Amino acid sequence: MAMDVCSLLLDEAPDAFVVQSPEGIVLHWSRSAESIFGYRADEIVGRDLLDLVVPPGRAEEERGMRREALENGFAAVETLRRCKDGSLVFVSISAKTVRDVEGRPQYLIIGKQDVTQLKVMRDAKLVEARYGKLLESMPDGIVLVNASGCIVFANTQAEAMFGYEAGRLRGLPVEVLLPERLRGGHVAHRSGYFGQLRTRAMGMGLELFGLRQDGSEFPVEIGLSPLETEEGTLVTSAIRDITERKLIERALHEKNVELAQANAAKDRFLASMSHELRTPLNAIIGFTGTLLMKLPGPLNEVQEKQLRRVQSSGQHLLELINDLLDIAKIEAGKIELVVEPVDCRALVEDVVATLRPAAEGKGLAFAVEMLDEDLRLSTDRRAFSQILINLVQNAIKFTEQGSVTVRLARRIEGELALVEVSVHDTGPGIGEEDRQRLFAPFARITPRSGKFAEGTGLGLHLSQKLAAQMGGRITVDSASGDGSTFALLLPEG
Amino acid sequence: MAARILLVEDNPANLELVSYLLEAAGHTVLIAEDGLQGLELARREPPPELVISDLRMPVMDGFEMLRHIRADAALNDIPVIAVTAFSMSGDQTRVMLAGFDGYISKPIVPETFVSEVEAYLKAGRRMAGPAAGE
Repeated sequence: MAMDVCSLLLDEAPDAFVVQSPEGIVLHWSRSAESIFGYRADEIVGRDLLDLVVPPGRAEEERGMRREALENGFAAVETLRRCKDGSLVFVSISAKTVRDVEGRPQYLIIGKQDVTQLKVMRDAKLVEARYGKLLESMPDGIVLVNASGCIVFANTQAEAMFGYEAGRLRGLPVEVLLPERLRGGHVAHRSGYFGQLRTRAMGMGLELFGLRQDGSEFPVEIGLSPLETEEGTLVTSAIRDITERKLIERALHEKNVELAQANAAKDRFLASMSHELRTPLNAIIGFTGTLLMKLPGPLNEVQEKQLRRVQSSGQHLLELINDLLDIAKIEAGKIELVVEPVDCRALVEDVVATLRPAAEGKGLAFAVEMLDEDLRLSTDRRAFSQILINLVQNAIKFTEQGSVTVRLARRIEGELALVEVSVHDTGPGIGEEDRQRLFAPFARITPRSGKFAEGTGLGLHLSQKLAAQMGGRITVDSASGDGSTFALLLPEG
Repeated sequence: MAARILLVEDNPANLELVSYLLEAAGHTVLIAEDGLQGLELARREPPPELVISDLRMPVMDGFEMLRHIRADAALNDIPVIAVTAFSMSGDQTRVMLAGFDGYISKPIVPETFVSEVEAYLKAGRRMAGPAAGE
């Protein structure tokens, strides 16, 4: 069989052959050139390689090589070229100038050998010799990639993580470690990274996944950093399998959703309970009212007295429901404080004006000791006033004779500036034992008269909880037989 | 000033209480047990001068009935007030934003209830135009 050496060499030699005009226009593009670079001859003949396979950063180098070949007749360089799919290959290029009879350059004959794998072996040797032990001692999977995107080194942790036998990752494009769907973007991405090298934190920004050899995926966190060597720049990736952390995160997220649902259910329950408890009370308090208004007809004295009992018991029940709902809301973290600037003097005066008739109706002196200066506090007006009303009502309730005094003052406690509203009474006072459990729900003070005072038993408990929500507290100072002083302390500013 | 008042309330005891109070004060009370019945009664001639409505009711709740009333040009002028056991913080705002002309929380105060209702009768519609949608 006759052998056409010419076309055999042109088409089948492993190295690519390119014929260019002295100006750099491609005139011939061999079949090996097609298989190395991915461009077909018809896509590239008639064009300049600077526009296609020369990476932007390497244009000067290409021009220099051409100039040298034209001047000296020959030039050689080992460099990077870009294939049609965006991937980079290391090539060893030699160029020779062919001249016409008059000695003018006619063609540039260029041979290009794909040395990507040779380069990988060189880089691998360098890395192993210099950093092998260090990289093996890392807890993370470490993969080093050179500018062509080929893995030159993977430590044992990385091989185990991705399910490869020892040494089997070397030479593979780094994309084998990525799920198919992420590969396309990655080639461009890593070429870009080589363009602007910088160290990036683990897992910054993106949700990343690794692909094991068996095809399974796992979530990863990756930290990238450049490593300069005399063989060129390598990129070090520290890879961490975060499957477990993701599982924990998901479990936490599910737990959060569950908690939110439980919270919403609690809210609905509170709202329904409030609604359902009030509905029958409406009829109880309402019809008691119509009877006492004598709308249906006259009442005898006993009927009227008993109906008053029904009415006050209904009111009492309503107060209990309101207080219980308030406490339930605070405990569920559902109380919404509306913080606004509150004029303390005006608020105290309002409360005093509201309760003055009750105090004076009982024959008590009702005094107010006001601050001279203006005092504004950023706090919840409603809660502030609710607590103060509770304290003053208690003082009036438990004092049979003497006085109730409300006093507004400022106090410094350590570094803390406080506003203090105190309510002093000349009532029976509270013994040490009672003081201990004063703020517990339904706590009742041991009566001297043998009669418990009226009330829900929740007032101080609720007030103390509200005060805590406002960043303050209620204090009590009393000795049995010597009156009591309750004070609401709220932080200034 | 005796008026025709439509009362929409599903709880029999509360229905009886409110209608008793209103009738004792000389008003004429039309009674409906849910929003749909209320709407039908509101559309009969002559129309009521005021609607008092519960919120949580079977078949059609008070909010939906209000939307229908506001969407009906013939009924759009009638003030509608909510009398409800929804009286937690925020409930009154929710009711007023839905477009009711007034809000009375349960339990009602029987001694003052009628005068409150009459004040709403006198005041009329809080604002003209359609109700703010839910």
